[in-house]
Amino acid sequence: MEIKMTGIAKAFGTNQVLKDVNITLKAGEVHALMGENGAGKSTLMNILTGLHKADAGTITIDGVTTTYSSPREAEKHGIAFIHQELNIWPNLSLLENLYLMQPKTNSLGMLNRQAMLQEAKAKCEEMKIDLPLTKEAGLCSVGQQQMAEILRVLMLNAKVVIMDEPSAALTERETATLFRMMRQLKEHGVAIVYISHRMEEVFSECDVITVMRDGHTISTKPVKETTVDEVVRDMVGRSIDEFYPDRTTTPGDVILTVKGLKPKEFKNTISFDLRKGEILGVAGLMGAGRTEIMRAIFGIDSHEGGEITLQGKPLHFKKPEDAIKAGIAFITEDRKGEGLILDFSIGSNITLPNLKQVCPTHVLNKNKLFDFADSLSKKLGVKTQSVHLPASSLSGGNQQKVVIAKWIGLSPSIIIMDEPTRGIDIGAKRDIYDLMNELTSQGVSIIMVSSELPEVLGMSDRVMVIHEGAVAGILDRSKATPEAIMNLATGGQ
Amino acid sequence: MNRNVTDTIKKLGPLIGLIALFIIIASLNDSFLDFSNLRNLLRQVSINAIIAFGMTFVILTAGIDLSVGSILALSSAIMANFIVGGMNPEVAIVAAAGVGIILGGINGIVIAYGKVAPFIATLATMTIYRGATLVFTDGNPISGLTTDPTFHAFGQGDIAGLPIPAITMFLSFLILWFVLQKTSLGRQTYAIGGSEKVSYIAGIKINRVKIFAYALTGMLSAIAGAIITSRLNSAQPTAGMGYELDAIAAVVLGGTSLAGGRGHIVGTLIGALIIGTLNNGLNILDVSSFYQQIVKGIVILLAVLGDRKKA
Amino acid sequence: MKKLLTIIAAMVLVIGLIAGCGSNSSNGGDGDKKQGTIGFSVSTLNNPFFVSLKDGVEKQAKELGLKVKIVDAQNDPAKQANDVADLLESGVSILIVNPVDSAAIATSVEAANAKNIPVITVDRSTDKGKVVAHIASDNVKGGEMAAQLIVDKLGNGAKVAEIEGIPGASATRERGQGFHNVADKSLDVVAKQSADFDRTKGLNVSTNILQANPDVKAIFAHNDEMALGAIQAAKSAGKQIFIVGFDGTEDAQKAVQDGTLAATVAQQPELMGKIAVDTAAKVIKGEQVDSKIPVELKVVTKQ
Repeated sequence: MEIKMTGIAKAFGTNQVLKDVNITLKAGEVHALMGENGAGKSTLMNILTGLHKADAGTITIDGVTTTYSSPREAEKHGIAFIHQELNIWPNLSLLENLYLMQPKTNSLGMLNRQAMLQEAKAKCEEMKIDLPLTKEAGLCSVGQQQMAEILRVLMLNAKVVIMDEPSAALTERETATLFRMMRQLKEHGVAIVYISHRMEEVFSECDVITVMRDGHTISTKPVKETTVDEVVRDMVGRSIDEFYPDRTTTPGDVILTVKGLKPKEFKNTISFDLRKGEILGVAGLMGAGRTEIMRAIFGIDSHEGGEITLQGKPLHFKKPEDAIKAGIAFITEDRKGEGLILDFSIGSNITLPNLKQVCPTHVLNKNKLFDFADSLSKKLGVKTQSVHLPASSLSGGNQQKVVIAKWIGLSPSIIIMDEPTRGIDIGAKRDIYDLMNELTSQGVSIIMVSSELPEVLGMSDRVMVIHEGAVAGILDRSKATPEAIMNLATGGQ
Repeated sequence: MNRNVTDTIKKLGPLIGLIALFIIIASLNDSFLDFSNLRNLLRQVSINAIIAFGMTFVILTAGIDLSVGSILALSSAIMANFIVGGMNPEVAIVAAAGVGIILGGINGIVIAYGKVAPFIATLATMTIYRGATLVFTDGNPISGLTTDPTFHAFGQGDIAGLPIPAITMFLSFLILWFVLQKTSLGRQTYAIGGSEKVSYIAGIKINRVKIFAYALTGMLSAIAGAIITSRLNSAQPTAGMGYELDAIAAVVLGGTSLAGGRGHIVGTLIGALIIGTLNNGLNILDVSSFYQQIVKGIVILLAVLGDRKKA
Repeated sequence: MKKLLTIIAAMVLVIGLIAGCGSNSSNGGDGDKKQGTIGFSVSTLNNPFFVSLKDGVEKQAKELGLKVKIVDAQNDPAKQANDVADLLESGVSILIVNPVDSAAIATSVEAANAKNIPVITVDRSTDKGKVVAHIASDNVKGGEMAAQLIVDKLGNGAKVAEIEGIPGASATRERGQGFHNVADKSLDVVAKQSADFDRTKGLNVSTNILQANPDVKAIFAHNDEMALGAIQAAKSAGKQIFIVGFDGTEDAQKAVQDGTLAATVAQQPELMGKIAVDTAAKVIKGEQVDSKIPVELKVVTKQ
């Protein structure tokens, strides 16, 4: 079996995710698909399995042009996609999960549990894995859930199996089992697409590597003919243009020290410091734990042990309220869910954390509140007729400005920004960068978590790279190259 | 149509409905608009309205309080017991309000700190408080309370031609309107219903605001209970059964979203007036009580359908 | 805007229609004050007993050519206070009240007194206020009759359970009192639980009682609904229990004829309603009436 995807293009609205993608998958071959977040890997695989429809390009399977109308149809034809977010029903047993969509029934149309159990057991033995088939799936480890998912796919007689970051949530031992299963599949002539950020795994387990960037396939090379450096270069490849304003502020003394912080469910502790007027970029792959670290610092999620010292004073934040009192602001990643009350007016959103400050008597003064919100809204250039309009009436970029405005109103000394420019247009991005520069020149320190490498490189004074819940390294601006960051982020040296 | 005009009309919807209702009933029966009947109407509305004001706060935080009727009964029983025991009846009313605050506060604490869904938490306390009332009263009404005229006036009296319960209702309304619209506490109440996550991250003391809302509702239920007790000159162990539904209906009729964060107390007052007017008007029109329930249901449904676009 | 108008129009239609066809009488709203209109506040229409009472009132009023306005308090004393206030506002000339609670109705009776509207109470009395007549079955007597029947059939000292009505209701108190007047001397009351005059609760409570006291020979329920629940409980426990109900509803009389219910102390609610209207008619005409009018009770057993 051979699948050829040629000239694939796909846009969501105005966002051209895939421009020109060419890839060939062969039976008995493990094909690694690599690229930065947003490079288009998942979209490409969703097109292959029929979830999305390509705008242009062709898919041929063994020479025949084919398009599937749904993932279900693709599965029927032997192409299965195991998503990062597993498709399981946590309230059903693993066995019930395995057979939910293709149950075995007896002549009366009743479920034949015994037959299902026997078949599943036989399959487990064949694959040399041990699964608690009758246990409720939600109570099983992620690894067990994933193996069950792979088992399910095998029972469909899949010829192509796509795995999206399968090892991200697995323990070492589970990962070893996963690789053993992959090798077995390969022997059976199954083609595997392996989406991963982990260089080590890719180089030990895969046969071919295709690198995607900005909706293009940049390179396809056999593993034996390439190196980690080469792959990283292909992944980040672009040059950082003149889009980012110059950083002119020189960071001052250390203002915040985080020492031995252990967010819940982290194996490692986190230590770093932040200087006055500095922008500390925080890079890492999706799921590396960057957001979790920030949430723990701000007191949204709990953490075990560790010290946070602000200007020499030890602090312990149990809830965001405490962090805010200490002068820390947090612009969350999830703008609509955690940043704004969409029903509220722009003004009410801006004044929400500032009520006490603007109206110390707790009796609201309409004029004062309006002046406060209006001046901030104007300062940040929120494009709206009036701050009385609901926040939902704004575009993404302007909503983000409102979120920033509400926090700046508190005159914080430290602002944590989690993905501050995600999903907003170029103009608004530039506005936000300028604002960050202005804030730091006034002595505010910024921690900027970002998945956009160019942004991290363009704005940061230093870059902290997180890899699997640990600080992989902190690079000065002069040493922060795309290669160095990607290397650290993927667990290289 | 201009956005502002549309908004205003939407806000006025319940009021227009109330006026329409008045016109319909008055045209069918001329004693409806008698001054004495209007006073009677206000007296009847006050109990549901006072409870519904508290319910508005709770629903604005995206919560619900099913225990109001049971709080009403338990606080009334305790108050009646105090009075029979010789306590000054006016002091006993204040004590009842205190009991209401405590019972409502327990709801709030269970919901805020225990993270129990408000529906479940107050369903449980509804049963517990009702049971406690029956245990406390041994299932018997407490009657023959007092001959104190001030206490009787609390439920039955008038000042300047206005029934005192109605005055209590309007006073509570003014205070609560101020709290909701003009203080940071009110703003935070809306914010929590709008998005609890956003509010938490913005440093709002979510638990305190929630406990306040439930304690306030408890207090108002107790005040309503005191009015009923004064009106009936006895505390009934079964008092207030089903009142939570009338209060919720008043809030919803007034345009407050059950999802929280949207609505206003003015609407609740109008909603309570609509329900009270229906009860009174249909009685006056001599509509069979079986049909009355159908009409009430249909009016609520119509009002909510009219409001659906907002949701 | 359009939507709002539609909704208001719909509201007008609904209320208009229902006020038209759901009305208890076909007369218009005017003229109530001049003619002898009776206002009747019934405690609940969720119970066949009170439905019979209401039927008796309606029938007799029709017979006598009187207009009657009926309001249903749905067992809520506060609603009854509202209902009575509404009746007084709509200008009735006499009030027949079947109170939810004797203590709570007092203020309403006093309000009627203040307006010089005569009041007749039915089934339950009022603690305070002036009443021209009280019409009721003799519940204490009925309780005694039930206990005596059990003594007669099962002999002295038989083990018996009592299922009580809504705690505090006067019927509960009086029937219980009458029952105990006899039972405390001649029977062994091993269990006593409330089932709120409700059939389902009667079933549950009896099931529990029979589980806990397997040697119970007889059950006295304060009303028929609970007795009918007790029959089910006895049936599923596979026991022959001598069950006595109270009220004599249609269902209970049928059960007595079927032999599942041993007896019911029958009240005659329809007769009660009829007597109430007769008495009201007399009062309107200015005739004297007795202040206490008992309504006959009878023990119904299988013929």
